[in-house]
Amino acid sequence: MSEAVVSARGLRKSYRSGDRNLEVLRGADLDVGAGESVSIRGESGSGKSTLLHLLARLDSLDAGTLAWGISAGPGPRGRARFIGMVFQSYYLIPELNARDNVLMARRILGRPDRAAYVRADGLIARVGLAQRAGHLPSQLSGGECQRVAVARALMNSPRLILADEPTGNLDEQTADSVMDLLLSLCSETGTALVLVTHNAGYAARTQRQLFLHLGVLNPA
Amino acid sequence: MPWYLYLALKQLFSSGQRLFFTLVSAVSVALGVALLIIVLSVMGGFGYEIRQKLVDTQGDVTVRASSVIPSAAAMESVIRKVPGVVATTASAQGFVMVEYDKKPAFPTVQGIDIDTVESVTPLGRYVTGGSLNDLDDDSIILSSILARSIGAEPGSKVEVYTPLALEKANNDNEILLPTTLTVAGIFEIGHQQIDSSTVIVTLRRMQDLYGLGHSVHSIEVKIAPGLDADYEAERINLALGRAEGTALPQLQGLEARSWAETDQDFLWVLQLEKNIMTLILLFVVIVAAFLTMSLLLVLVLKKTREIGLLGALGASRRAIAFCFCLQGICIGVVGTAGGLVLGFTFLHFRNDIVRLVTRFTGSQAILEQFYQFSELPSHTSGHDLAFVILAAIILSALAGIIPAAIAGNLKPAEALRNE
Repeated sequence: MSEAVVSARGLRKSYRSGDRNLEVLRGADLDVGAGESVSIRGESGSGKSTLLHLLARLDSLDAGTLAWGISAGPGPRGRARFIGMVFQSYYLIPELNARDNVLMARRILGRPDRAAYVRADGLIARVGLAQRAGHLPSQLSGGECQRVAVARALMNSPRLILADEPTGNLDEQTADSVMDLLLSLCSETGTALVLVTHNAGYAARTQRQLFLHLGVLNPA
Repeated sequence: MPWYLYLALKQLFSSGQRLFFTLVSAVSVALGVALLIIVLSVMGGFGYEIRQKLVDTQGDVTVRASSVIPSAAAMESVIRKVPGVVATTASAQGFVMVEYDKKPAFPTVQGIDIDTVESVTPLGRYVTGGSLNDLDDDSIILSSILARSIGAEPGSKVEVYTPLALEKANNDNEILLPTTLTVAGIFEIGHQQIDSSTVIVTLRRMQDLYGLGHSVHSIEVKIAPGLDADYEAERINLALGRAEGTALPQLQGLEARSWAETDQDFLWVLQLEKNIMTLILLFVVIVAAFLTMSLLLVLVLKKTREIGLLGALGASRRAIAFCFCLQGICIGVVGTAGGLVLGFTFLHFRNDIVRLVTRFTGSQAILEQFYQFSELPSHTSGHDLAFVILAAIILSALAGIIPAAIAGNLKPAEALRNE
């Protein structure tokens, strides 16, 4: 495997649920190489989203070690440069049009320069929404919203994309096209991908397939 | 522009439902600000006019003694040498009974030195019928409401009775003969109390009516514009103290007091009234701030997953909190600006509005009788304006702090899990 973009060892995470301590991850190990695509499947509630949040350092580990690859700075800004995220529910900002939603990823790092605008327009065009760049999310279909979310995830040229059931809210045909787009863009840009999905077909299109069961990752 | 300001503005002024909520919040702040500006300006206007009239009628500084002042000319000469003193005039005051056409009135009488009074108080400005220059030892100027009440007008001959005449009639069994004076003019200050019960005669006539000889009751002093009246009063006191035992006779209780010191209790009450009114009306802005806070709290709840997304995109918690706090500040700024426009527009048309209201209610005469004004004055001080602007914006910013703190404390992972 090429140089690891992210390396996790013995990740443990539990939540309090009433009086009970719900242990979601019980020592998950994961290495993702540069440009590699990995899929993770598992039952609902098995901890797939929790694992992605831990990999993105959006949540704290109970135990284990997590290392990001080269060039990731510390804190939220480091995350913004290193990781792009795609969610099932798109999470576009409703007050911003498609282009501004894509640019938002760059804006958080600082005032976007001309090159950033050009890149945003390029990404919007690449996901097939050049004619709809000025439309608000409420004026876009679910598939179009997810395309915008994919473009946003790629805006800062991250090393890793974490996609959490990106086709979960889409019909089959739209889901196929979004998945095609996501996989091809990651391949084109050499961006590593960790894809959480229930769909065995989409999982099969990644280079490595894993299954999360009882808080541990196993090869599918 | 930083992303948090960019997003705050986009969220506040997006079209549709959100814009409506923003406007409701901003309007509530605007109404509070407008109310504060209107009331503070009108009260300021009354205060300003009252202060102006106090100065116009009694001069910047007044010198009095416990007894009468026998040698006014010598004292005036000492006072005029004090740096900053522009002019002086002597006067005497008392009560008389004025009768015209069997209708009596009991006004205060002011005896003025016709040669010097205009250099200290702009009395002539307030004489409407006739002229101050027409006043001589055989004439009198009546205040407007008093003249109307007894039916006198310029040229009328009124009879004046003084306590001195009454005293003589009582002690010496003399026949009580009034002094007949011709009305030389009518004056109107615009203050109901003064306009309904004051008459003006020459100082010589007053000295004659009260048997003062050459004595006076007070010396009014005009100081150079921009000088502090209290400070000048102190300097006059020092000069009079040094002059005592020389040319001037020893006078008990001789003291120069500024107009502000003379009327300090009245001015304190005016200020107290204004402060209490400000405090009460500030609650309108506080209520508006709570409305803003509730709007922002709803927004934070509604935007929980977006807050998680911002965290995932690399926004710091502090920046996320600032984004929501800025929305409170923006509502405060927009509301304050709107309130200032609304308030000053109302103030511009205030007299038309009052006339319209009194026309419908038929209360113009009552307004003049009891509130002593026919025109609504307005004076907005820079201090009041700054206070209103700062109070509204600070309260709105405070209203944004709790929602901002909640937004900032949301953990991105928890926020993203929120459904």
